[in-house]
Amino acid sequence: MSEFINGILRLRRGPWEMLASVLIALGVVMLMQPVAIWLYTYSFVVTLVGTIMFIIVSHFPE
Amino acid sequence: MSASPLDQVAAATPVQMATKIKGLSDRAIAWIFVTPTILILLAINIFPLIWTIRLSFTDFRVNRPNAEVSWVGLRNYERVLTDPDIWTAMQATAHFLIWTIVLQVLIGFTLAYLINKKFRGNDLWTTIIVLPMMLSPAVVGNFWTFLYQPQIGLFNYAVSFFTGIDPSSFSMIGDVNLAPWSIVIVDTWMWSPFVMLICLAGLRSIPDSIYEAAECDRASKWRQFWTITIPMVLPFLMLAVLFRGIENFKMFDLVVQLTGGGPGSLTELSSINLKREAFEKWRTGYASAYAVILFVTVFGLASIYVKALNRVKNR
Amino acid sequence: MSFSPTEPSRRQKWVAGTLVVVYALVTILPLVWIIATGFKSPSDAIAYPPKVVFEPTLEGYVNLFTTRTRVSEEDFAALPPPSSWYEQIVRDSGLVIAGPSRYGARFANSLIIGFGSTFLCMILGTAAAYAFSRFRVPIKDDLLFFILSTRMMPPIAVAIPIFLMFKNLGLNDTHAGMILLYTAVNLSLSVWLLKGFIDEIPVEYEEAALIDGYTRFQAFYKVVLPQAATGIASTAIFCLIFAWNEYAFAVLLTSGTAQTAPPFIPTILGVGGQDWPAIAAGATLFLLPVMVFTILLRKHLLRGITFGAVRK
Repeated sequence: MSEFINGILRLRRGPWEMLASVLIALGVVMLMQPVAIWLYTYSFVVTLVGTIMFIIVSHFPE
Repeated sequence: MSASPLDQVAAATPVQMATKIKGLSDRAIAWIFVTPTILILLAINIFPLIWTIRLSFTDFRVNRPNAEVSWVGLRNYERVLTDPDIWTAMQATAHFLIWTIVLQVLIGFTLAYLINKKFRGNDLWTTIIVLPMMLSPAVVGNFWTFLYQPQIGLFNYAVSFFTGIDPSSFSMIGDVNLAPWSIVIVDTWMWSPFVMLICLAGLRSIPDSIYEAAECDRASKWRQFWTITIPMVLPFLMLAVLFRGIENFKMFDLVVQLTGGGPGSLTELSSINLKREAFEKWRTGYASAYAVILFVTVFGLASIYVKALNRVKNR
Repeated sequence: MSFSPTEPSRRQKWVAGTLVVVYALVTILPLVWIIATGFKSPSDAIAYPPKVVFEPTLEGYVNLFTTRTRVSEEDFAALPPPSSWYEQIVRDSGLVIAGPSRYGARFANSLIIGFGSTFLCMILGTAAAYAFSRFRVPIKDDLLFFILSTRMMPPIAVAIPIFLMFKNLGLNDTHAGMILLYTAVNLSLSVWLLKGFIDEIPVEYEEAALIDGYTRFQAFYKVVLPQAATGIASTAIFCLIFAWNEYAFAVLLTSGTAQTAPPFIPTILGVGGQDWPAIAAGATLFLLPVMVFTILLRKHLLRGITFGAVRK
């Protein structure tokens, strides 16, 4: 876990990509869940942030 | 993407070579070779995509080309993201997505595991099993409506043969409770072989020596399965799940032909719902915002897919 | 037989084999049913219980390629005797042939568009794949991801502007438009697959050729292309299959002259609804080539469907 935080702080690709992937996955789940419509409403923002983040952080050093 | 040794050699050689050879420089050739592809993709994929994004901020309608078009800002997005009908379509997509993936992983992995027992003739049977995968989903989907006919369909007959239920008493595509399953069944029939092939590659990538070592340690078969087989196949399985997830998230042809989104709009998956907004109701601006939302989702999943892909490649 | 802990026992093999064979038989049943239905008479096709044994007839195929009309009884009786076996089949059902159906033209469209786009795809794809494989292309990884992501795009999401663009350029419902579109759709596949195949060819061959005084171009088509022949052939078949099967763009952007077979086959109608034997006949003719190709490609199948990621 501390390695993960360390990677985040030092702008390493691995943990940031993981974070972006989690955001994208969360957005997809929010988009299609049957529980609350407000989750659906905000799903797009989450996915968008995750996707843009992924594009940026995939250029970070390993 | 980390470069394989071959890549590194390839990248390193031409530079020295270039000085020795006549003709165009390698850099020029590289550009001449790559540019046409990039240009076509820009013209036919990216340009339309940018156009879609632009349209998504307007109230343009294709069927009224002369009407004045005005910018509406984010209003289309706001309306799409608060539309309960689209939310329902997303849930229909989720049902389809989750069940197809669960069933395909179960069937696909089991088949791969069995085929990996290397019984005689396994190549022949593998080839037969993969046949449905490569066929046209629209044509096959259309024919499945015939197999699903209540009175005369082969599917209903087979069900009644094994369970004794009257074959004319249920209609897979007409019934509210069964229709969502009818598309799951056909998709699973078509795509389980895909998961099977990927799992098979995963199983075959496990060196025998690992099992032999485990055998020496007196690990039980059950334990070997959970501590060797599953973890080693998991990256491959991830790949298959992501790929099927993306494909089924944008599923169109098979389901359009099979149920057309019906009964009502029960099996109206997001792509079909979008097609209706764009090409039947002609709400172009609104549909464009919808399209952008679907696209961003797919693009996000695709990024994860490529990551999973590289992990498998580096094995 | 040598004993190995990893070699499955005979009983295990037997059980596994049986289960797989049962699954395989169940899974090809719908395909067998399509082929069988094509040879059934309309009444046999909708018989209950479904007929396994039936008298084969070519009625479905004749109906697939013709349009038929009903004529009054006097006119029917006054007709000259049928001049061919297919006319005979139509007459037997109390109808006369009115003309050819559109299936032939739709099938030809599928062929033209499929082969046209595959050809373009292979030329562009081979060149790009070679460059990506051998040269130091700036932002290579980003370009490759960009190329792949175009494949992931949902067709419906870009269909609206493509529809508008094609309308402006006069490409709607034309062969040229569809060839261009399918080329763009399949380029990602051809670039990724071919890059994988070319990566596997050792660079030493080209180096030797270059030292022998070949130019890069010569080395490319005299050394690399022959080496990559299998890869190029299987990639071409994949592109062909995907173009052949494509439905979403075809149904949205074509309606007449350039319509391919997949949107057309489901619309085949007979007397009182869908003419299932004719549809099955059309589907059989349309699906069989793909089945044959799948069997030919079985070694490269996995590679093709995962964009060259998993090589087995």
